[in-house]
Amino acid sequence: MKTPTLSTVTAAATLTTSALAADAGSVSELIAKIKSTDDQVRGPAWQSAASYGAPAVKPLAEVMATTDFEVARAAKRGLWKIVRHAGRQGADAERQAVAKELIDLLATTAAPVSRELLWMLSEIGDDSAVEPIAAQLANADVCEDARCALERIPGQAAVAALRKALDTAPEKFKYALANSLRVCGEQVDGYPSQKLVPTKQTSVKAG
Amino acid sequence: MGLGALGLPQLVSTRVLGADGSPGASERLNLAHIGMGGMGGGHLGYMLARQSRGDLNVVALCDVDDNRLASALKSAGGKPTPYRDYRYVLERKDVDAVVIATPDHWHACQTVHACQSGKHVYVEKPACCTIEEGKAMVRAATGNRRIVQVGSQGRSQREAFLAHQYIANGMIGKVRKVTCWHYASPSDDHPVPDCEPPPELDWDLWLGPLPWRAYNPRYCPGSFRWMMESGGGQIRDRGAHVMSNALHFMDADHTGPVSIEAKGTLPTKGAWDTAIDMEVTYQFKNPDWTLVWAQPGEPVPYFDRDKVKREGIRESYGAVYHGDRDKLVVWVGDGQVYTELKAVNFKKPPGGVEVPHSPNFDHHQDWFEGIKTGRQTIMNIEAGAATAFLCVLGNLSLILGRKLNWDPVKQEIVGDAEGHRLMSRPQRFPYTL
Repeated sequence: MKTPTLSTVTAAATLTTSALAADAGSVSELIAKIKSTDDQVRGPAWQSAASYGAPAVKPLAEVMATTDFEVARAAKRGLWKIVRHAGRQGADAERQAVAKELIDLLATTAAPVSRELLWMLSEIGDDSAVEPIAAQLANADVCEDARCALERIPGQAAVAALRKALDTAPEKFKYALANSLRVCGEQVDGYPSQKLVPTKQTSVKAG
Repeated sequence: MGLGALGLPQLVSTRVLGADGSPGASERLNLAHIGMGGMGGGHLGYMLARQSRGDLNVVALCDVDDNRLASALKSAGGKPTPYRDYRYVLERKDVDAVVIATPDHWHACQTVHACQSGKHVYVEKPACCTIEEGKAMVRAATGNRRIVQVGSQGRSQREAFLAHQYIANGMIGKVRKVTCWHYASPSDDHPVPDCEPPPELDWDLWLGPLPWRAYNPRYCPGSFRWMMESGGGQIRDRGAHVMSNALHFMDADHTGPVSIEAKGTLPTKGAWDTAIDMEVTYQFKNPDWTLVWAQPGEPVPYFDRDKVKREGIRESYGAVYHGDRDKLVVWVGDGQVYTELKAVNFKKPPGGVEVPHSPNFDHHQDWFEGIKTGRQTIMNIEAGAATAFLCVLGNLSLILGRKLNWDPVKQEIVGDAEGHRLMSRPQRFPYTL
């Protein structure tokens, strides 16, 4: 494997995006290994993906959609490695570059992938991620994940997006949005917690 | 003046004793079990034995798997009311206390909701999956004046008491390091694709607060342990025993490390994503000591090989307490605890340090007496959360790939914005704290 061109922790914040991560050749090599049918090739590949950074995000997200569930899983785990590495202190430029790639993918990926992307953004997204995430609140397949992501992203932009959605969302979803707002310390009128309301009956009978 | 007037838990304040001094049928503690898997079945067996002695009534059983529920109901003689949804249990005014033995990702919600519904709680270890869950559990227990006992029952074992007493009386000097050993986590060597859940399982309710995902046979029942989100691996399973004892013996329940650094080997394939091998170093300050969780670490064979066979001693995990004068080995750490003969035979001198122990070295009995008297139990929720935090922080350091700094007073990760966000995990509605 080629050694990717990497940032260092201390210098990352001052480097340009292009200098922050792996070159196209090394990303291709990573992807090829992650697509391997041999877990002894695939496993070490995703486990070493952390430092590949933003250029590897889209290629990995594409592999996440493959029908080979072990290859898809390897790609997902590789992408998580990148996200968590990018979230380290002092690497803001790298974090923002990775987050931007995730954001760009949100609108075009299928639910199983975009669900993961939303949770990744919940860890490293900032205000710039809020609007694209909020747009997913209207997507029935991932609206819960989008709500959770907004709940986790600190700052008033995420709170404002949740509050805006509370005005427009389907009535049933408003309870979940209200819960998120309360978790964020906001006061919400109506839509009380449903946490103690039982709904599921068993078919097992006593006696 | 009744207990309630003193602000203490008022479990039986309106009840009267029977003519022989024992509680009559309507005055006994009414108990419900939530989660009827391996540990849940063990708790049920214990409680049914106590029921047969007239100590309590098992009035409700709950599980999201109808087959498990039916099996548990049969073992209980068919009398308790079965439920799939624990919230029906919490609605019942006649239920005084609940035993929670669900997968880890449910512990916090169910404990908080039970406390808020006025129930006392025995909850399996580890107490929680996130830092904020643990804090919420402490708030719920204290705010509602409920007694919560966490199922790290090692603290209640006789030889744990003897080891604790030996260390507390300075017999090995100042302890500067505790090294744990534990065998590795398994890997999913035969992965299978996602599929429809079996008809007896309510998958939505099993997942509860976790992010939605399709069912996979590798996720449950017992194998939830090897998923980071739901089980956290050996460190959160047995770490919640072995490190619970370490905090107890070191009188460190109300402290915490200042730094956590983990390294480990992750599986190359399969659904399970917890570390196979792992080493976590926790640095404590004031007093300064180091705790090391190591899979596999350096196992210490128990000294009496015949006893290992005779009693089935699970010597594949334990801890060594390194003092500046001597060291002490404590084997196992859960329902089994063994230590060296020098600690077993130690006679506390007059004026020596007293250490607490559970009545009859019985963890459940300690809970019952806590409910009856309002006193703290040996593995109360503050201690349970403190132990779980070690497990959680070890895993967080591993998945983030970096050392974490921790403020043990504020109980928060410092200097790492992503780590700070990971102190909580937003929950799927309506399964929220």
